[in-house]
Amino acid sequence: MDPRYDIPRRATAGGSGGSANSSPALGAQSRRRKMPPRPADFKLQIIIIGSRGVGKTSLMERFTDDTFCEACKSTVGVDFKIKTVELRGKKIRLQIWDTAGQERFNSITSAYYRGAKGIVLVYDITKQETFEDLPKWMKMIDKYASEEAELLLVGNKLDCETDRIISRQQGERFASRISGMRFCEASAKDNFNVDEIFLKLVDDILSKMPLEVPNRELSNSVLSLQPEPEVPPELPPPRMRCC
Amino acid sequence: MDNNQEPEEATDRSELLSGDGKNSKSVMCQRCGSKVLSPGIATFAEKELFLPSMRKKSGLSATESSVDGDTLTDHWLVGDMFDFENVGFTNDVGRIKYLICADCEIGPIGWHCLDDKSTYYIALKRVTHA
Repeated sequence: MDPRYDIPRRATAGGSGGSANSSPALGAQSRRRKMPPRPADFKLQIIIIGSRGVGKTSLMERFTDDTFCEACKSTVGVDFKIKTVELRGKKIRLQIWDTAGQERFNSITSAYYRGAKGIVLVYDITKQETFEDLPKWMKMIDKYASEEAELLLVGNKLDCETDRIISRQQGERFASRISGMRFCEASAKDNFNVDEIFLKLVDDILSKMPLEVPNRELSNSVLSLQPEPEVPPELPPPRMRCC
Repeated sequence: MDNNQEPEEATDRSELLSGDGKNSKSVMCQRCGSKVLSPGIATFAEKELFLPSMRKKSGLSATESSVDGDTLTDHWLVGDMFDFENVGFTNDVGRIKYLICADCEIGPIGWHCLDDKSTYYIALKRVTHA
């Protein structure tokens, strides 16, 4: 186990602390920044799981084309991404792990699940078996993930409506049987609902947070409601991925 | 590394640097405009780093030794991966992780060595500033 990609407990670099204002310095001559850049209010780890070929990786991407990325992806592959979203006046950094390439249920180690505040479980609406796999994924979630982790079930490939095999109702029904699990359908290809997926998930995560601290949600004077989320002790292991 | 820079480049750089040696502008993806760094987050650093080409044909590979690319010296340096607004990390290539655009995945735009958890470089020439 290599702990190097855990969410660090605290930034060791300069530039953290201070409050709002991220406007650019007005000139190169300014001797000193009066307003330090605004740090992120929260850091959240999100994992994307699901059977092979359901489109997990494409959910992480807003779009792709065929310049470098193809070469990069096919030979090296993307390990994880840092993405920033703003919601409810908060700036949230997401560390998003896509588990593509490790679709066998047991190959994704517990460390991935343990640190996750949000889990996106994906199936393909045109492939029966990816839907039938869901209970096995749920077993892994039950076993390893924190009980507080927000769950979102995503029926992907909405752009292939004509090949649909799993109805929307089936997806809804599955999600409704699991307490707190949200459901939506998406098309990474058309970018339909993809941004919303992450915002929804983050919104759910944030809405739970005020319970852990005095509820000052409506007071904008409090920039940071809570110290950073606790850190998983271990880190996802290096990925073995064929090229 | 105190190489004398071309006058023109020096001018460009002073436009990008604030008085405290930080980036005065946002650092963005050249292709899709995704924001990589907010102003005032990164410090300017000179270090010779080899980054594989951003063009299609030269894929990076852990084994291939003759990778097409550039040795770049001007970088933005941050000490924590959470200093980035948006960025992607490739899988390991030896002890290196290359940084790419989080949205369109163009890259490499930067470099991170697994042996030093507190340095993350973004090459000035591989991004735009606004």
